[in-house]
Amino acid sequence: MKQITRRTFVRSLGAVATMPVSSMSDAATGPILTRAIPSSGEQIPAIGLGTWITFNVGNDERLRADRTRVMQTFFDHGGRLIDSSPMYGSSEAMIGYGLARTKNRDALFSATKVWTMFKPLGVSQMENSRGLWGVERFDLLQIHNLLDWSTHIKTLKAMKAERRVRYIGITTSQGWRHGDMETIMRSEPIDFVQFTYNVVDREVEERLLPLAAERGLAVIINRPFQEGVLIARMMGHPLPQWADEIDCKTWAQFLLKFIISHPAVTCAIPATRRVDHMKENMAALQGRLPDAKMRARMARHVQNV
Amino acid sequence: MRSLPFTADVFLSLFETYNRAIWPAQVVAYVLGIAVLLLALRPMAATGRIVPAVLSAYWLWNGVVYHLMYFLQINFAALGFGALFVLQGVLFAGHALRGRHGTRFRADIFGWSGLSLALLALAVYPLLGWLAGHSWPRAAMFGVAPCPTVIFTFGMLLMAEGRAPLLLAVIPFVWSLIGGSAVFLLGIPEDLSLLLAGVVGFGLLVWKSRR
Repeated sequence: MKQITRRTFVRSLGAVATMPVSSMSDAATGPILTRAIPSSGEQIPAIGLGTWITFNVGNDERLRADRTRVMQTFFDHGGRLIDSSPMYGSSEAMIGYGLARTKNRDALFSATKVWTMFKPLGVSQMENSRGLWGVERFDLLQIHNLLDWSTHIKTLKAMKAERRVRYIGITTSQGWRHGDMETIMRSEPIDFVQFTYNVVDREVEERLLPLAAERGLAVIINRPFQEGVLIARMMGHPLPQWADEIDCKTWAQFLLKFIISHPAVTCAIPATRRVDHMKENMAALQGRLPDAKMRARMARHVQNV
Repeated sequence: MRSLPFTADVFLSLFETYNRAIWPAQVVAYVLGIAVLLLALRPMAATGRIVPAVLSAYWLWNGVVYHLMYFLQINFAALGFGALFVLQGVLFAGHALRGRHGTRFRADIFGWSGLSLALLALAVYPLLGWLAGHSWPRAAMFGVAPCPTVIFTFGMLLMAEGRAPLLLAVIPFVWSLIGGSAVFLLGIPEDLSLLLAGVVGFGLLVWKSRR
């Protein structure tokens, strides 16, 4: 695996747009913030699309049409990485439905997970997911919550060697099994890690984020809004005036910019069922990012609200 | 932390799809339910077989059709729920084959409680759902949806003759806790009646079994 230092990693980050944030009602027109996947150098936008709960809509045609519009908005604003899991009910079927009905879907960076025990079940589950998405192969396959990871990691490594998947990784959320995650990050040739990080839940700043930078691992961040709890908490309060200094017009931008400005973070994956929220999320890809001093100020502000 | 992988809107939408797909099974379930209740009030020779056979049909339907064919689309846990419901259906089927325990309303605390719970499942639960804005087709219907079926089951078990069949009440009690969590996790207020039915029904059955 290609090893990089934090300094070279930071240098490899994509350009940060300095132009003003575009109108919320229009698709993005300016450059958007991208980040390099350390193991390949491939650039991906720093905001992706999570599908936990929000895309689990069953066969309801009205809800499917709504989520397809969310996906179209995501692609229209330069989005690429969509993350899901067999654990998310009908979300993968919804993604497949949406992909068959959206333009610009060629930009898709497909990321899902294996979430079961035993090799045969894992192989079968990944194949089923591929059918649901309707993709030739996944860009990224991750081991969900490290479930039976020692079995699946062998399968994923073999699949990568056979070019049946481009990247492999591991996930956790809400602070679970960070010790095991650290062990795997140190010992296995993975490309991606995924865990929870936001302006309130910052434990990963201590070990996992620095380790990911040291090991040259791309980092996907889940629960950026604490499943909506954080943003709901902030909505009752006005944005501070100094948020203008980092081109933030909404709390969603504020909270997402805090995350994606961390030098070790590759991509945050907020989930939404609303087109207007999708636009707000994608707007975080534009404008200035906070520096370390500003990030500390942001965290203090949220803490005091 | 939110522990369900779907929203209330999606949950109710699933009921809409399910109810439209299985129509008119709901009518059959209601007719059977009323017939079973009448049998408990005016028992005949085969009541000891008919009542558990109908309950078995309800539980097997809920396990296979509702949980495994529909609910599993949005909730991976439905695989386990389906297995539990099928197991309960098999237990009732065994009970029906043996036919040793009749069902008869008696004017004591168990009989009145059982009758109340049966009427709650048949009439009050849908009314509560309607008041909460969950009317047809976005409603849990008697006999073909777990929650009213479980309430009805407690009602019939309380009217069982002889010692209370506690083994038959374990899975319904477990479901009353699982399904009752919808009150808090999904904002489905009518399921508060399921929680109450589970706690009161199971408590009374334990008491009855020790008399």
